[in-house]
Amino acid sequence: MTEPSSEPAAPEQDPLAVETELPSSLMTVNLGPSHPAMHGTVRLVVTLDGETIVEAVPEIGFLHRGFSKSSEQSTWHQVLPYTDRLNYVSPVLNNVGYIMGVEKLASVKPTERAEYLRVLAGEISRICDHLTCVGAIGLELGAFTVFLYAIEARELLWDRISELCGARVTVSWTRIGGVATDLPPGWEEKLRDCLPRVLELTDEIDALLTRNRIFVDRTRNIGVISAEEAVDWGFTGPCLRACGVNYDVRKAHPYSVYDRMDFEVPLGSRGDTYDRYILRLQEIRQSHRIVLQCLEQLPPGPIIIDDWRYALPPKKDVFTSIEGVMAHFKLIMEGMLIPKGEVYVYTEGANGELGFHIVSNGKGKPYAIQVRGPGLPILSALPRLIKGHAIADLIPIFDSINMIGGEVEQ
Amino acid sequence: MAQAFIELLREKLPDAVVSSHAEKGGDDVVTVKRERLVEAMAFLRNDPATDFKLLRQIAGVDLLTYQTESTGGASLAGREGPAYEPRKKSPVEPRFQVAYNLYSITKKKSLRVRVELRSEDLRVPTVTSLWRTADWWERYIFDMFGVQFEGHPNLQRLLMYPEFVGHPLRKDYPVRKRQPLVPELDFPDLVRGPGPGPGGAGVPMSQTHVGRQNVDPTTYD
Repeated sequence: MTEPSSEPAAPEQDPLAVETELPSSLMTVNLGPSHPAMHGTVRLVVTLDGETIVEAVPEIGFLHRGFSKSSEQSTWHQVLPYTDRLNYVSPVLNNVGYIMGVEKLASVKPTERAEYLRVLAGEISRICDHLTCVGAIGLELGAFTVFLYAIEARELLWDRISELCGARVTVSWTRIGGVATDLPPGWEEKLRDCLPRVLELTDEIDALLTRNRIFVDRTRNIGVISAEEAVDWGFTGPCLRACGVNYDVRKAHPYSVYDRMDFEVPLGSRGDTYDRYILRLQEIRQSHRIVLQCLEQLPPGPIIIDDWRYALPPKKDVFTSIEGVMAHFKLIMEGMLIPKGEVYVYTEGANGELGFHIVSNGKGKPYAIQVRGPGLPILSALPRLIKGHAIADLIPIFDSINMIGGEVEQ
Repeated sequence: MAQAFIELLREKLPDAVVSSHAEKGGDDVVTVKRERLVEAMAFLRNDPATDFKLLRQIAGVDLLTYQTESTGGASLAGREGPAYEPRKKSPVEPRFQVAYNLYSITKKKSLRVRVELRSEDLRVPTVTSLWRTADWWERYIFDMFGVQFEGHPNLQRLLMYPEFVGHPLRKDYPVRKRQPLVPELDFPDLVRGPGPGPGGAGVPMSQTHVGRQNVDPTTYD
């Protein structure tokens, strides 16, 4: 009800109905930008009628770091650390998405081992991302145990990532034509040791939440969006698949070695908060399958191409041959000279389609680069998702879309 | 790849298509006339033969320094950005491009629709009536490039703050320009140099005792 009615209720009306029509005035509440439940720095101006959300206006940009402008001043490889900071929960997936665009422009094909390593580390990152999202939903609905389980599992995997890439979050791990580091000795056994524990913890979360009456009541039929509407709003990833639309870049346009992997794309049917939650749990299990297949199929061989136009020469050559020194010098001082062209490259990020629109003018730096963070279109639909719900439902809905400030605000 | 869709568009709206080509990476690009953009987009979205229901992203490109920008070599070794010279009339025309990356989930095909803009007339009809997601992307392009989307319900800055002057992703917007809302502290940051610096306003950092001695005085201004 938007404005208090001045006319008295008609006498023949049902007295209960009259009571529900009692005049109330609207109230505006500011959520954020610094609020523990806002996952970063988003400001939401919510207009309430009692406890019901009438209108919500998201305001973003508090975390804007000028990703595009900074990248245009950097060499092709110097952009990699900026991409780490887009989605800081699954940075490997950003690295892969960006470097695939550069490789597409340069017509470079990475080595087979590097492709497998990228898929391997990418799927581990995807598990971490989904665990974070599921844990946060639990946490903010009062299930603190779930959060602890999820974080324990995520830490196990982030330890593996840091052993492989040298950093937990700021990995900057891919290179044009390959990756930076190979598997350290004994890493495979460590991963095989910790994966069952990750699955066990995922099952614990499943047991604690999926049939939990309180959790189901709080999420079922909350924040519903239909398939057509979701596409209209630009949804991708788990949020789109929760509506039943079967679009996963890994299946629709298999890149890297995803065409050799045996996995399923779980689909939801209702498009509500519960479906978005349960889909992430199922995707964790599918990613686990992909990781195991990668470990089995992992071929031996070099991890980066032997093309000194794009890949740094091995240190042995730099220190012993004039060609190596020259190639190293040119690549560091001038950057890789990527041929002219324009490309939109898309990969399946943890929250949806991660796209990079890259323009090269044939020089050592990207001429223009813009990112399509999967969270931006989904966040833009947040007012539509929460409208008409109670303010207490805002938090689980906002959790389930898993907005990552870094990629949305660039 | 998506050439068939471009042919369909040509048949349906022969005078809307300016040109089309395939990028080396395999992306199909069709350039349409600005005046016919909404018509062409409505056809691409609604016709069952094309069915581009998903608008992935709207990207902008400023071609001002596409030919001239000196990248690599000395410009990378130095810390300076490109020189800032606001020009009355830019030499590259049409200077701006707005690229709409479309995707058809049913046909599994991508297409990029592009509009070219001259710098004196940066108006584009909005496509918010076709895709709800265009709302924020158009705000983003307006924010970063200053392109005016005519008919947009709420054309405000998306990422920058309302007091911000200029459009940061234009190539003539200086990289080091700062627009603080509160006065910055007089604190010498040797790398970026925010605020007036220890010598007071107008004194380059390099000419104070704090600054490095071997730096070009104009670098930090």
